[in-house]
Amino acid sequence: MKTEISALMDGELFEDETEGLLDRVKRDTAAHKDWEVYHLIGDVLRQPEYIHCDLSAKVRECMRNEPTVLAPRGHAMKRKIRAIALSAAASVSAIGIVAWMSLQVGSEAMPQIAMQQPGARPASAQIQPKSNDYLMAHQEFSPSTDMSGGASYIRTAAYSSDKK
Amino acid sequence: MSDREVDQQLVERVQRGDKHAFDLLVTKYQRKLGRLISRFVRDPAEAEDVTQDAFIKAYRALPGFRGESAFYTWLYRIGINTAKNHLLANKRRAPTSTPFDNEEAESFEDGGLLHEVSTPENELMSKQVVDVVQSSLQQLPEDLRSALTLREIEGLSYEEIASVMNCPIGTVRSRIFRAREAVAENLRPLLETSKGNRW
Repeated sequence: MKTEISALMDGELFEDETEGLLDRVKRDTAAHKDWEVYHLIGDVLRQPEYIHCDLSAKVRECMRNEPTVLAPRGHAMKRKIRAIALSAAASVSAIGIVAWMSLQVGSEAMPQIAMQQPGARPASAQIQPKSNDYLMAHQEFSPSTDMSGGASYIRTAAYSSDKK
Repeated sequence: MSDREVDQQLVERVQRGDKHAFDLLVTKYQRKLGRLISRFVRDPAEAEDVTQDAFIKAYRALPGFRGESAFYTWLYRIGINTAKNHLLANKRRAPTSTPFDNEEAESFEDGGLLHEVSTPENELMSKQVVDVVQSSLQQLPEDLRSALTLREIEGLSYEEIASVMNCPIGTVRSRIFRAREAVAENLRPLLETSKGNRW
């Protein structure tokens, strides 16, 4: 246990070890003495010009008449609750942003599909036989010529077979 | 868990009604705070009384401590105010006009203005304690002495010491403990002979 007390003094112990050890240092007289002696050694090394006897006994004596202090549970709990609330709020807003972005993307994609599907049929259905010659003559100016012309010929062939 | 977090745990225990936890904080900071107060209150016996008073005031004020600053920074302010009030009550001026700030509270190492607390009954004992600690330190093997010195005087973390000494953190932890325990072994017989006063 002395090794742990030494590490505790230096703030080099894990949280789960600290809780139990602090309890033991409080209750166990020998452990409490070690805590005192190790601190005395540190104080002597840091400030040898100012060393006095242990005041804690005197302070303890004075504190006997003091009412036990009880902080409103709030302080420690409030900090924990605030931390949890902040992280929860951050998570919710992150999820919200992701959801909103995916909805935005979805709502932009949907009209394109919706416009293409109904647009395809009426276009072919509404083509008047008279305009076919015009379309044939100007098909190289049509955006569909970007597809290297082959598609236009396929359409023309399909039209011709329908005629038969 | 850092030193500040350990203090915060102790503070929270006191705030839940655990008086013994405050005892551990007093043991830890009594000499640091005492030395600070002795810069204002020159008389050693008075300085001890004011230090004690400052701890009692801190205990009473502890329900209002929210952990926004380090515990010692907060205690430091209480110590300064208690010392100044003591001087005002005795119609004396503080010996320094230099304003104190929180940063100084964290790194208070000035030895120039300090004086030795030399109550007649404690002077010899203080000297003996210092002698035993320093001679024990000199007798330690080099690696133990370096580890303890780097920790206690230079204030390095275990990780930093491991880097300086080129060894694993576990070795640093072990060396520091062994050094402390070797010094404590020599110190305990002296402390046990001290009559009335605990050290």
